[in-house]
Amino acid sequence: MNIPHLTFQDLLPVAPAGVLVVGAIVLLLSEVFLSTAQRTYQAVIGTLTALLAGAVAMNNAFEPARAALQGYVVLDPFSQWMTVLVCLGTALASLLSAGFLNHRNAERGEFYALILFSAAGMSLLAMSAEFITLFINLEVLSISTYALTAFLRRGPRPAEAGFKYFILGAFSASLLLYGAALLYGATGSTRFLDVGLALPQAFAQQPGLVYAGFGLVLAGFAFKVAAVPFHMWTPDVYEGAPTPVTALMSAGVKAAAVVALVRTFLFLVKGLSPEVPFIAFSALALLSMVGGNLLALPQRNVKRMLAYSSIAHAGYLLLGVAALFAPATAKGSDAVGLFTATPLLGSMPNVAASVYKGLLFYLLGYTVTALGAFGTIAALERREDETRSNTWDLERFAGLAQRKPGWAAAMAAFMLSLGGVPPTVGFLGKLYLFGAAVDAGLLGLAVAGVLASVAGVYVYLRVVVYMYMRPAPADAPAPFRHWTTEVALIASAVAVVALGVLPGPVTEWFSRAGMVFGS
Amino acid sequence: MESPLTPYVPVAIVLFLAGAMAAAIPFIAGLLGPRSPSAVKSEIFEGGNPPIGSARQRFAVKFYVVALLFIVFDVEAVFLYPWAVNFQQLGWFGYATMAVFAATLVVALVYVWKKGALSWES
Amino acid sequence: MSHTVPTANYLILAAVLFCMGMLGVLLRRNALVVFMCIELMLNAANLTFLAFARERGDSIGHLSAFFIIAVAAAEAAVGLAIVIAVFRSRGTVNIEEIQSMKH
Repeated sequence: MNIPHLTFQDLLPVAPAGVLVVGAIVLLLSEVFLSTAQRTYQAVIGTLTALLAGAVAMNNAFEPARAALQGYVVLDPFSQWMTVLVCLGTALASLLSAGFLNHRNAERGEFYALILFSAAGMSLLAMSAEFITLFINLEVLSISTYALTAFLRRGPRPAEAGFKYFILGAFSASLLLYGAALLYGATGSTRFLDVGLALPQAFAQQPGLVYAGFGLVLAGFAFKVAAVPFHMWTPDVYEGAPTPVTALMSAGVKAAAVVALVRTFLFLVKGLSPEVPFIAFSALALLSMVGGNLLALPQRNVKRMLAYSSIAHAGYLLLGVAALFAPATAKGSDAVGLFTATPLLGSMPNVAASVYKGLLFYLLGYTVTALGAFGTIAALERREDETRSNTWDLERFAGLAQRKPGWAAAMAAFMLSLGGVPPTVGFLGKLYLFGAAVDAGLLGLAVAGVLASVAGVYVYLRVVVYMYMRPAPADAPAPFRHWTTEVALIASAVAVVALGVLPGPVTEWFSRAGMVFGS
Repeated sequence: MESPLTPYVPVAIVLFLAGAMAAAIPFIAGLLGPRSPSAVKSEIFEGGNPPIGSARQRFAVKFYVVALLFIVFDVEAVFLYPWAVNFQQLGWFGYATMAVFAATLVVALVYVWKKGALSWES
Repeated sequence: MSHTVPTANYLILAAVLFCMGMLGVLLRRNALVVFMCIELMLNAANLTFLAFARERGDSIGHLSAFFIIAVAAAEAAVGLAIVIAVFRSRGTVNIEEIQSMKH
């Protein structure tokens, strides 16, 4: 029997998740052992834990890429930077939750503990390099998020949203697991490295089994990143969940799922004909970019509009993923089509590096922007009308510029960033990501993405117009104030603008060589 | 000379026997057992006490909480078996790993306990 | 080994279970039945892992089954709690009646 010999090097990649789990346990125990009425300290513990884990991950991000824990996880900058982003989002979400829950008299240590457990799941999911590890971490992340979604007991909405999220989440996890079982049968291993090695032969012998496994795993992931046509659950769940949780779902869950998807398919596509994954990702990207923006157009409910917007953003991310899997086409095919790759300047040597940079920078931008936007919505919500449907109507934003100029300016920055208007981080993210797609020769898809995002700008600008050009209704509610909410909103607004103007060393960090293990 | 269904013959025999038993026993009991019905006997039996109310009440939510906790803690035992079987070979590595695992469960138990999820009253 | 069931039969059974579960999730209207169908899908995946592991005589598939069982139990606990929460706020577990948010 071979006993694994674990060293410090093996535990390094999982250290951030370890910090998060210890923080979560401390919060759980604090909830039952310290009974004070004032519970803001829990949000502070949650935030500090997330920041500490983020610092550990950032330290890891400069390590060379390698496999750890016998190839069950990998330590590479891609997953560690993703962990940094998740920790950033978690810290902001904890701060937002403090004010949100305080206003509803529902502050509990369990809430922050679940947020941290969920973040640990995201971090581990991004570095999983084996199917069962992947499945377990996906479930750690999902189960915590189901519970968070249904956390508030007021009115029927949270339970309903939690139920829908649970059913579709569990359904997608089963699809992924069954796909993994089929691939295990075809290749005899669940470790991505071995699966990748065995796939060419397995594909030659049993192409049906491999394609079925590939399709099921892809469908499972598509549910998690909320790509059209696997997006049906998104609007209801995002609307019904407590707003800080929605923020975490839209940023963190999606980021982790995208990173895990990239890692999985880098190994899975070996032996498959290269067009298959490329066309699958291109189609998902196109449908999500166009569908998300079009579905957002008629929404007057801002929270629901942002849910559709997050589908569109998943589409942009998938555009990057498609660029990663663009087949190196032979010279001479000059046809520009939606699902063809046309190299502009001969073959681009380093498409992968620019795609990783684009994905990470886009995720960074989306994390701070989405947290800020949902945070502003959370601050404008009033608990009295939680059961009514107009809580998040555009009217709520009318005249905000006169009543609360600072809040309106922050929300305007978030909206412009979501729309990809300079000088915000959203613009730079789109620039890098679409640039990577063009580098890979995906001209048709990139143009479609730009057109779709122009339609999206209208949706976001409408919120700005309401804030600045409509008079405030007489009974406009004052946003509730809590210092944690204001800290979170100021931090994200500053990040949105500052990273948009001066990304500083961040772009360099994200474009270092050897981002992804095994690529 | 074997049909592909041959391996299933024992399964079919078990299924047949189970079905036959289930059908036969109530019949035989009705045939052999003495019968002297009375009002008291045909009452619903509830531990000797007179029955109160309908059987289809809603259970207290406490019941579900205990049941759910039972499922979770019970299934964790699944990891103890492989460890127990290979205890000698796994040595201190296995011991340390399982100690961390068990410690996590103990923390969960302490939380559940202090939260009051295990107390039936109150 | 003439009296053992061939692996293909296990795989077909698992595929049938998986499809039953999938159709159940998509078509059934009772939340608890949908919930059970999801468990059915997970167990179909489990059976597939075990069938392949038996054929190859390797332990990864067996180990996978342990982990899947444990994860499924944790998922069932949270899922049932959510179903109870839905029932208490609505008084029904019919999926068609659980539609308060407009599209």
